[in-house]
Amino acid sequence: MRERHQPGDLIAFSPDWIDPVGRHHLGDLIPVAMAARMDDAPYATLWELSIRGSESTAARGRTLDWTATFGDVTVRRLVRAPAEIHTDFVADFARAKVTGRYASRPQVRLEEVGFRPRRCVRVEPRPDQTVTITYPAAKLGERLVGYVGLADIFTRRDIRAPGEFVVSVDGDERARVQVGVEDAGDDLGWIQFSFATEPGTTAAVTFAATALGEDARQRLICFAAQARTSAASDIEPTSEERAP
Amino acid sequence: MTGAPMPGQGPSRAARLVVSLALFAIASTSVFMSQKDMGLARDELVYMNHGSRYADWWLDAASGEDGTLTAEAITRHFGGDSATAGNREHPPLMKTLFGLSERILHRGLGVTDRVSAYRLPSALMNALLIVLVYLFVAGLWGQGAGIIAALLTLCLPRAYFHAGLACFDAAVVTTWFATLYAYQRALRSRRWCLGLGVAFGLALATKHNALFLPGVLGLHYLWLSLERGLAMRDAGAERGGAGRYLRALWRGALALQPWGVPALVVLGPLVALALWPWLWFDTIAHVLDWVRFHFHHVHYNYEYLGRNWNAPPYPWHVPIVTTLFTVPVVTLLSAGVGAVALTMAGRGRIWAALVAPGRVRGAGAEPSTAPARLLVISALVAMAPFILGQAPIFGAEKHWAPAIPTLTIFAGVGVMVAARMATRAIIAAGLVGARAPILRLALSLLLSAGAVGAAAVETAAATPYALSHYNALAGGAPGGADLGMNRQFWGYAARGVLPYLNTLAPAPDAKPRPVYTHDASPAWSAYQRDGLLSPGLPDAGHERQGVARSDIALVIHERHFNRHDYLIWDSYGTVQPAYVLTFQGVPLVSVYVRPSKTR
Repeated sequence: MRERHQPGDLIAFSPDWIDPVGRHHLGDLIPVAMAARMDDAPYATLWELSIRGSESTAARGRTLDWTATFGDVTVRRLVRAPAEIHTDFVADFARAKVTGRYASRPQVRLEEVGFRPRRCVRVEPRPDQTVTITYPAAKLGERLVGYVGLADIFTRRDIRAPGEFVVSVDGDERARVQVGVEDAGDDLGWIQFSFATEPGTTAAVTFAATALGEDARQRLICFAAQARTSAASDIEPTSEERAP
Repeated sequence: MTGAPMPGQGPSRAARLVVSLALFAIASTSVFMSQKDMGLARDELVYMNHGSRYADWWLDAASGEDGTLTAEAITRHFGGDSATAGNREHPPLMKTLFGLSERILHRGLGVTDRVSAYRLPSALMNALLIVLVYLFVAGLWGQGAGIIAALLTLCLPRAYFHAGLACFDAAVVTTWFATLYAYQRALRSRRWCLGLGVAFGLALATKHNALFLPGVLGLHYLWLSLERGLAMRDAGAERGGAGRYLRALWRGALALQPWGVPALVVLGPLVALALWPWLWFDTIAHVLDWVRFHFHHVHYNYEYLGRNWNAPPYPWHVPIVTTLFTVPVVTLLSAGVGAVALTMAGRGRIWAALVAPGRVRGAGAEPSTAPARLLVISALVAMAPFILGQAPIFGAEKHWAPAIPTLTIFAGVGVMVAARMATRAIIAAGLVGARAPILRLALSLLLSAGAVGAAAVETAAATPYALSHYNALAGGAPGGADLGMNRQFWGYAARGVLPYLNTLAPAPDAKPRPVYTHDASPAWSAYQRDGLLSPGLPDAGHERQGVARSDIALVIHERHFNRHDYLIWDSYGTVQPAYVLTFQGVPLVSVYVRPSKTR
């Protein structure tokens, strides 16, 4: 696999629990940014290493290109047409304008959201307050695709109040997502939002994060989004990415 | 046979003594030797530290040192203002024994290492459980069933692990079961009422699970009383209605052994009080604090069937599924056979003969004390708080551990019943002559060796990482991981990476290499003190600051600990662990080494 792997190829291990063993052997081929990616759509090639007949969710919607078996490990190379990114709102965060009352200044961080690594913009509004992050002239593609969730399992456990996340384009609300903790105790995770945009135009895109209620302390609302020319999976949340 | 069999009777006194001593020696030695490879669990370090303080106080008190018995001295050793001061949220019996054992065996006689000395009382208490199970079963259902039940109780991977720790989870099973044993004897003997009170008091002084024991005994006593009262000669002549049942209940209760009630209500709490100096003043307030703590316990994160749980309501099936996935399958199957046989034994002589040949009761025999029913009630009550969905589930099997001897006892009976059924089938088929005793002995030996052997192999294979063990029904540890079952807790598996870490240690005169240890942090200095870890590998501290200071970092794999991986990736600039400790292929601990360019 090392002979065939190219920089920028995605690697997934399946089932999930063998991930540490997989990274032990091949972690040098996985940059941190790739491991903490927003989703798989921009990656053309996926290398899937699996045991016990397991299949990675990342393999869905891809075409098998090559396969081989090494002992108990099955290796598959799967391909698809990658999404073209016009604006990466995490990478461009330095150009955004921040307003509102926050407990800590919004910043790009590597966070745990839904037990997965995510490089995201982390916003922590004060209780019952809204923080807005505006990109005045973002280049748009066919769709704007993003995800949002609450970071840090311990604050999610100890504080059950939800947050809310609203996306607007040129002042028009286009998506509204509630982020919180389900009654049963598990997390809503990394929630996808997606809507069509006018390709080739620029617009003011605003993300507004609200900590809902006076008890909503430490709502670490994390989001990542891309304006892109979409691939099919942009509108098909995987099992780990439940729609609101 | 003229009397119903009783626990503690059956085989001759000499035979019981020999078997008991042998079982005690096997159980205590094997657990004591196995624990040497087990890592330090987060909680047991707390119990060790407080146990030493408790032991110091008792030794001072015994030597008549001035001021020991004052409220101030007691508070200094056993309590304090906060809810966890002096570890007052847990009763002191085992902690005191841990401390005394370390004082005598390690510091005094120097015959064992410090950790082993602290852990020895748990191993001995577990061995006592094995003997009590044997005596209970042998007296009721025969020598063979007793020995098999005892060995199957020993060969439970998770319970075997807990028996090796300086914690209370093995000990409370012993004191809980000792209370059941004493209660069964007390139903026929006033003398044993004292034993009942003492056993219950020891259980109360061991762990708060014991608070449920009156529920077990009360339900059984009421049921038995009603049954007895209704069966009495004049009961049939009474008019119907609720009054008839109340009168029957009263008659039956008096006909049983009512002295058990004051023993349980008065003597038990007095024994616990005597062992817990913190309750010697402000008693009611301190008892309420103890109970209140467990009603408001933190709900730790815990993975179960693919989801992270940290708030009620929890699924009702947690104790059932967890038990089905952690007790050896052979024990579960045998328990099923035993449960059916014991249920049917009350309804027909054929089944009764299969359960306990030669013990089938005749007319005029003393009525049974319904021991199987007691065991079932015990298991249900022990599991009930977790079936109701409000109690924290983070400790899994250890929370309802007192339920498990019911399974192993039924399994012991089940193996013997299966042997007897096979014997009958072979003879009925004309495959051998009528040499039933020899055939039955051979089949009994074969089946019991198979059952106990399989459970023993599974237990040995699970050691020292038994909290990651899942049985064949779950598909082993990999199956448990596929199902999204909890991987481990308490951070004890870090012990397994110490040899690798030592290869990374700096030379004695070189700069130390701090290690980010997260859940293993409480054990770190103990590993260094005991020579298992180089002094050049100090604990780097907590969270982001700890990671930033570290050269080496551990992640102990539990779902909610994934965040530690990400903290490390962010600081080290790599996702590649240098070493991964696995159990049956399932990752337990990852070790990262900081690339020099990120310093």
